[in-house]
Amino acid sequence: MKTVFIDCSPKKRLSASGFIASFTGVFVTGKKKKVKLRNKTDHESILNEIKDADNIVFTMPLYVDGVPSHVLPFLKEMEEFCKDNDLKISVYVIANNGFIEGNQNEPLMQIMENFCIRCNINWRGGLGIGGGVMMNVMRIMIAVVFLLTVLNLVVTAINKGFLDTDIVIGFAKDVAEILVLGCGIITFDIWMASCINRRKDYGKHYTRIMLPSFIFIIAADIFFTVISIFKGGVFRGWFSKKKPDMML
Amino acid sequence: MKIIIHDCDESYDAGFKNISDEVIWANGRYAPCQGCFECWTKNPATCRMKDSLHEICRSIGQADDLIIITKNCYGGYDTPVKNILDRAIGMSTPMSSYRGGQMHHTLRYGKKGRLTIVVYGDINENEKKTWELMAERNRINYGYENKELMIIDSINELEGMDI
Repeated sequence: MKTVFIDCSPKKRLSASGFIASFTGVFVTGKKKKVKLRNKTDHESILNEIKDADNIVFTMPLYVDGVPSHVLPFLKEMEEFCKDNDLKISVYVIANNGFIEGNQNEPLMQIMENFCIRCNINWRGGLGIGGGVMMNVMRIMIAVVFLLTVLNLVVTAINKGFLDTDIVIGFAKDVAEILVLGCGIITFDIWMASCINRRKDYGKHYTRIMLPSFIFIIAADIFFTVISIFKGGVFRGWFSKKKPDMML
Repeated sequence: MKIIIHDCDESYDAGFKNISDEVIWANGRYAPCQGCFECWTKNPATCRMKDSLHEICRSIGQADDLIIITKNCYGGYDTPVKNILDRAIGMSTPMSSYRGGQMHHTLRYGKKGRLTIVVYGDINENEKKTWELMAERNRINYGYENKELMIIDSINELEGMDI
């Protein structure tokens, strides 16, 4: 069995879609291939990969209630490719959005299902994740914290002559917090992987970062404020009703 | 202000200009969104890419009456129009609050009047249902009070329509 993961994020690196594709891949058996779809130059190689594949897993961000625009030309080309080659492939989709509610991905899921119907291939279902940006930030943070913990352990061991277990316990607590916040995503994702392995229907499911929405909104606002201070947007008319230059 | 975004032939431009304040022709000669968020965090309401959509959010954001005319693509906008909408997220701010009972970005240009979406081309029943959902989601997302969805078979039907 061959499964192709198509990471549809336009970002070059450290995307939430790329992460969730890799994470899902851990639990999928058989031959696996992860590819990036960023522009038209990627189309040919991806179509070559899916020619002999059993499953495709699209992972993508939600853009303005739908599929990102750079993905649409590929879907059209793939539709022709599927018809020409009479492919009988199974399609799964994992979408993530920056808002907390996973079900905001519903229009995107319907578009992908409609696409499969047009292609005459098997729509197996999708997972919509709310709080995708936070999921991505958490996984980057835990990698940084892990490195700092190892460094701290080494420095402490050199200075004191023994391993300080409090440092390890502190890191374990950080990991536990992330597992609690991400338990919905992890559970639904492993469930999807299980369906992929058995080539079964998954249905449509929506999950989220396990935080009350009002707390998530405060956290998201703080996150964007800090980023905007560092990038300078706060000082360049952050909320102003700017008019087009030609109208000034 | 009434703005029309359309992906019809350029020949439709003159007619649309007669019934609106601004026409944005979705001709596809621009790059897709790169997801950098700099139109929120670095240069507000300005895209990093310096093509014809560099400041497109500033125009669309001021549309009290927005009409989007698009070919159907699996129950969503076709590529040239979706490309414009993706590049125009700077018409909201990076801050979030509740709108329509769910989390959304706050509106840089405030609440507005009416969103009209005209869909043409080959379309099946499933895709029509998706469009109903899409139009409502877009209305909430963009902060419009009202919305209207028109699904027509051919672009030629536009000529007799009151939009």
